[in-house]
Amino acid sequence: MLLRVESLHAGYGATPVLREVSLEARAGEAIAVIGPNGAGKTTLLKSIAGMLRATRGRVHYEDRSLVGLRAFQVARLGLVYVPAERELFPTMTVLENLELGAYTRIATARKNLEYVLALFPRLAERARQLAGTLSGGEQQMLAIGRALMSGPKVLMLDEPSTGLAPKAVAELYRNLSRLKRAGLTIVVTEQQVPLALSLTDRAYVLEQGTIRLSGRSAELLGDPGIKRAYLGVA
Amino acid sequence: MTAILFDGVVQGLQLSLLAVGITLIYGLGGVLNLAHGQFAVVGGVAAALFLQFGLDPISSGFGGILSAGILGLVVDRTLLLPAYRYRGEERLLLGLILTLGFSFLVDGYLNWQVPEFSLSFRLPVPMVEIGGIPMRTASLAASAIALAVFAGLFAFLKLTLTGKSIRSIIENEAGAELCGIDPSRTRTLIIFLAAMMAGVAGVTQGLSSSLGTEMGPEFTILGLLVAVVGGVRSINGTLAAGILLGVVNAFASHYVGAYVAYIILLSFAMATILVRPTGLLARFT
Repeated sequence: MLLRVESLHAGYGATPVLREVSLEARAGEAIAVIGPNGAGKTTLLKSIAGMLRATRGRVHYEDRSLVGLRAFQVARLGLVYVPAERELFPTMTVLENLELGAYTRIATARKNLEYVLALFPRLAERARQLAGTLSGGEQQMLAIGRALMSGPKVLMLDEPSTGLAPKAVAELYRNLSRLKRAGLTIVVTEQQVPLALSLTDRAYVLEQGTIRLSGRSAELLGDPGIKRAYLGVA
Repeated sequence: MTAILFDGVVQGLQLSLLAVGITLIYGLGGVLNLAHGQFAVVGGVAAALFLQFGLDPISSGFGGILSAGILGLVVDRTLLLPAYRYRGEERLLLGLILTLGFSFLVDGYLNWQVPEFSLSFRLPVPMVEIGGIPMRTASLAASAIALAVFAGLFAFLKLTLTGKSIRSIIENEAGAELCGIDPSRTRTLIIFLAAMMAGVAGVTQGLSSSLGTEMGPEFTILGLLVAVVGGVRSINGTLAAGILLGVVNAFASHYVGAYVAYIILLSFAMATILVRPTGLLARFT
C-alpha cells in the first residue's frame, strides 16, 4: 500500500472536524473523496500533506509515518498536494513557478519540464507571462504542472474543478486521466461527483467528518443513495 | 546645491541598503527588525577594530561586513526563536519587542566598551571633478559599493534558484512549502544577507564620513522610513525611495535642521501610506 490513513482525527483548535477516518491507495490507483461542503475533505488532505497537524491517528506513506512532518518535508517525499486555492506565485512567471516546483529535484528538472509542457502546451505558450495573469483553467494547469515538476509518486488534488468553466473542467479531467494512465497515484476530492467517480478506481464518501461509505467508483456511480445525495437524480 | 544633492544620493544609497534588509526580513520572516541599524554599527565597529589590529582597510571592511552577518545569524537562531513559534501579528509584536530590547543591549554595550568611538577610514583620497563638480572619491566609492551590492542582490533574486525560492516565500509561503522549500532555512539565509548589507552600510558610512556607536537608532528609523516609502515588498522601490529620501533629508538638514528634516521624512512616509500603501513602485523586484 503506497498511502494508508488510519483512524485519523483532526480539526482546527478545539473544533474537531475528522473522526476515525481511514483510507488507502495502492500505487497507480486513483481514489476520490466525495461528500458535501464542510464534510472535512480539505481537512483530510491538509492533514496528509502536513499543512495541519492531526490530533490522533496515523498516516503511512511508503512504509514510513508522516505524523509530525511539515508540509515541505512531505512534499520532498514525493507526495505532492495541489490545494483548491492553488497557492501559485502570481508575480512570478509561469516558467519560474514551474522551476520552483522542481526545487528539490534539480537533476530531473529539465526532463520534467519537457513532460509538463508537453502535457499542458498552453503553459509553454505562456511561459514568460506572470502566473497572476492566467485564466482560472490555466492557473489550475500551472498548479498541477508545478506539482508534477518534482516527479511525485502521489498527486493530491483538492476540488480541482473549483471556479473553472465547464470546458476547462473537461480538459482538466482529460489530463488527469492521462496522468493516471501514466501510472501516477491520484487522490482527489471533488464536488462534481460524477467526474471524480469516472476518473477514479475507488471512492470514499465523507460526511460530517467520518467515512460513511466506500467502494468501487463505478458501483458508487450506480448507487441509488449516492445518486440521490450527490448526482441530483431521484 | 549640487554638493548637497550628491551627499543626499550617497547617504540615500546607504539607507537603501539598510531598508532592503528590513524589507527582506519583514517579507520573509514576518519580523520588523528594530535592531537593524545596530547591525550596521556593529559591522562598522568591527571593521574599525580589525583596522586597529593592523589589518589593511579592505580586509577590515570585509571582516566588518561578515561580523554583522554573523551577528544576524546569531539573532535569528537564538533571540528570534520565541517569535518564530507564533505567526502573523503575535510574531510581529514579539519580534518588535525582542529586537528593540536587543538594540538597547547593543547600544549600551558599545557605549560602555567603546565610548566616543568613531570609525573613519581616513584614507588619503583625492577629490575628483565630474562635470565640474568636485567630489570626494571616498563618497564615490561608497556609492559604487552600494550599487554593486544592489546589482548583486537583484541578480541573486532574479537568476538563481535560491533567489527565486526567497521570492516565492515572500509571495506565498504556503505555496513555497508545497514545492518542498524549507521556509525557516531560507529565513536564516536572508537574515544573514540582510545583516551583511547593513554591515556594508555601516562600513561605507565610515568610508564616506564617519560612523559613531550612537548611530544605530537613527539608521533603524531612517531605514524603516525608506522601507515604508519603497513598499515593504519591493526591492527596486526601496532603492528609489532610499535615494529620494536621502536627497530630501540632505536638503532639509541643510536648510531647516535635522529635527524638522525628520518630520518632513515622516510626512513623506505617511503620505505614501495614504496614497500608495504598497509603496512607490508597488511591485516586488
